[in-house]
Amino acid sequence: MSVADRLPLVVERDDGLRLRLLSGLEFDRRQLAIIAVTLVLLLLLPDIVSIVGLSFPFILKGLTFGIAALGVNLLLRHTQLVSFGHAAFFGAGAYATAVMASYGGVESGLLLLLGAALVGTLTAVFIGFLVAGHREIYFALLTLAFGQLMFAIVIGSQFFNFDDGLSVRVDGARASLLGIDRALGVGSAGYRVLLYYGILVILLGLLLLTWRIVNSPFGKTLDAIGQNDLRAEFIGIPVKRHIWTVFILSGLYGGIGGGLFALLQPHIRPQGTLHVLISGELLLMALVGGFQTILGPIIGGVIIIYLLDLARFQADYYNALAGIILVAVVLFFPQGLLGSTDQMRSGARQIREDPSVVGTWAKALGARAAGGVRNGIASTKHLLFGGD
Amino acid sequence: MTLTTLASGVSIEQLLLPAFVELQLGGFLVHTLNGIYYGFILFMIAAGLTIIFGVLGVLNLTHGELYALGAYVTVSILGFLIGLIGPPTDLVSGALFAVVVLVGLLLSAAIIVPVGAILESVFVRRVYDRHEVYQLLLTFGLLFILIDVIKLGWGERPVSFGTVYRSLNAIPTTELVGLSYPSYNIFVILLGLVVFGFLLWFFDKTKTGRIIRATAINREMATAIGVSTPRVFTLVFAMGAFFAGFAGAVAIGGPISANLEMGLNPLVLSFVIIVIGGLGSLQGAFVASILVGVVSRWMTWQYPPAELAAPFLIMIVVLLVKPEGLFGTWGEIE
Repeated sequence: MSVADRLPLVVERDDGLRLRLLSGLEFDRRQLAIIAVTLVLLLLLPDIVSIVGLSFPFILKGLTFGIAALGVNLLLRHTQLVSFGHAAFFGAGAYATAVMASYGGVESGLLLLLGAALVGTLTAVFIGFLVAGHREIYFALLTLAFGQLMFAIVIGSQFFNFDDGLSVRVDGARASLLGIDRALGVGSAGYRVLLYYGILVILLGLLLLTWRIVNSPFGKTLDAIGQNDLRAEFIGIPVKRHIWTVFILSGLYGGIGGGLFALLQPHIRPQGTLHVLISGELLLMALVGGFQTILGPIIGGVIIIYLLDLARFQADYYNALAGIILVAVVLFFPQGLLGSTDQMRSGARQIREDPSVVGTWAKALGARAAGGVRNGIASTKHLLFGGD
Repeated sequence: MTLTTLASGVSIEQLLLPAFVELQLGGFLVHTLNGIYYGFILFMIAAGLTIIFGVLGVLNLTHGELYALGAYVTVSILGFLIGLIGPPTDLVSGALFAVVVLVGLLLSAAIIVPVGAILESVFVRRVYDRHEVYQLLLTFGLLFILIDVIKLGWGERPVSFGTVYRSLNAIPTTELVGLSYPSYNIFVILLGLVVFGFLLWFFDKTKTGRIIRATAINREMATAIGVSTPRVFTLVFAMGAFFAGFAGAVAIGGPISANLEMGLNPLVLSFVIIVIGGLGSLQGAFVASILVGVVSRWMTWQYPPAELAAPFLIMIVVLLVKPEGLFGTWGEIE
């Protein structure tokens, strides 16, 4: 009897034993070691962060946004559809939590999160029904408009307390995390650590779910739709229904992300959850991390939130910082951070071999920008005064 | 004869009804005019957006900031010009004042033209052939940068100037028909009509306009018959920027102040407008702008909480009934 027969989840392949998590998701020894190290690091993260001197709340917030960005990415990567209104689901989740806490007096964090996921999903069912028939830029426009509609409704309604937002506390008490925080009697720092572990579990679950979706026949069909929706239609794929389904799924991610975000906060406001800029940030996270990868949005979420929140406290011109990152990513790293590792490695090697190459790059970049400016001025002259 | 008959034999209803009707009608008229005024400002923004989208195929998210930049530049330039000539005192100086205001508005908008041209030729040009997510994110990034450029130039505090609005309102226009309505708004409505007429004429009758339309219909063919498409793209972007800037200039002449967030709402509303009107359609943008403007002003009047949401509801209805928009043309200016 071999090892593979005795242990569950272990299978034997040509090149050795592997751990089989889901059908098709198998890891060999080296990968398992990396995963184990990563998991240990993740479990120790609260301590590591405090030793290194990073801000733990920023990272937590980044993770919740990263979860919503996973949903954005699901749409973007497979159906090639750009949702510029994902704050709708994030905000729906956050507001569902806040409404349940401040109006319903619900204290259980689990119930609040389930409510957030449900409301996020239902919002996506409604919006998805209206936008699933549209493609390309029209899709982006419509999702953006629906996101702003939600924002407008919340801002204009007494029930949601206008733009002052709602409290996520029941009589000043934080939501209970399965009762563990109450039993341990932890303070706000301990609560954050517990919530972090909760987020970690949910995140791993969602990553597995994403992997499952992506590698299922459904995921492959989405890829087909993304490549050419007309052909997909012709070979008999119900394109609209598939897009609607994946839109609802991505709304679920958004709702969960929003719900977790609300659990982190004492109070939520429409500007920080439902605003169109949040939609843009979510899209940016998916792109910065590398939208062709599963993990990219999470990494992007943490990095973007960290940078932006830090900049908000430190610098006057934090908007420009976000803008410059965006423009740089679009123009120079279109595959995102995780997607551009090869590119960066070769760049680093070139710098090591010959440091003057940086100057050459800068010169080329400057020349390109100057050429653009000259071009723009020439065209302006042409427009204003005619002739060439 | 009812119980309410007065000594003179006239009932209270007879006495009050005309005044009541006039008051209601006056309110209705004023809010409708306000809506048309607002609609024309929205139209100038949306027209630029729809032209850029129709020809370049790029949804320009910086458009709202170009509008804001137009407003800020106007505060500086028009403020300077008015400082030179002083407020109007008699009829002649009033006429001079009006001319200076018009020149100042046009000049301010003209300053946005090179901004648009450079944005296009340095940045936007690089993403024409890429997935729309890059186009959106690039212009989104430029939006952030422009906000901070404005912050750098004019500071964080809202800026405004009331002289233009007050002085131009001193010119009687609506009093002639027995209604008291700000003359500046009438002035803007007329300007908006001129802009609409100009755009229709430009795209229908002029050579440049026809070249732009040809480029919108088929880039390769346009290149083949000798059109410099990169040049056309820059021109179109700069032209869109001009109208956004002009809208900002005109808006800041009215009773508002310019602030850092002012660009976002008009941007989103112009999306709504071009969806309602049909992407790339000028007539559609015109009709939808007036519709959105009037409906949101009616809401301000009757039910303020719905003011922000109303345009989106119109959009949803249009999408359900006529998904391609009222004047739906795809990717072609008409």
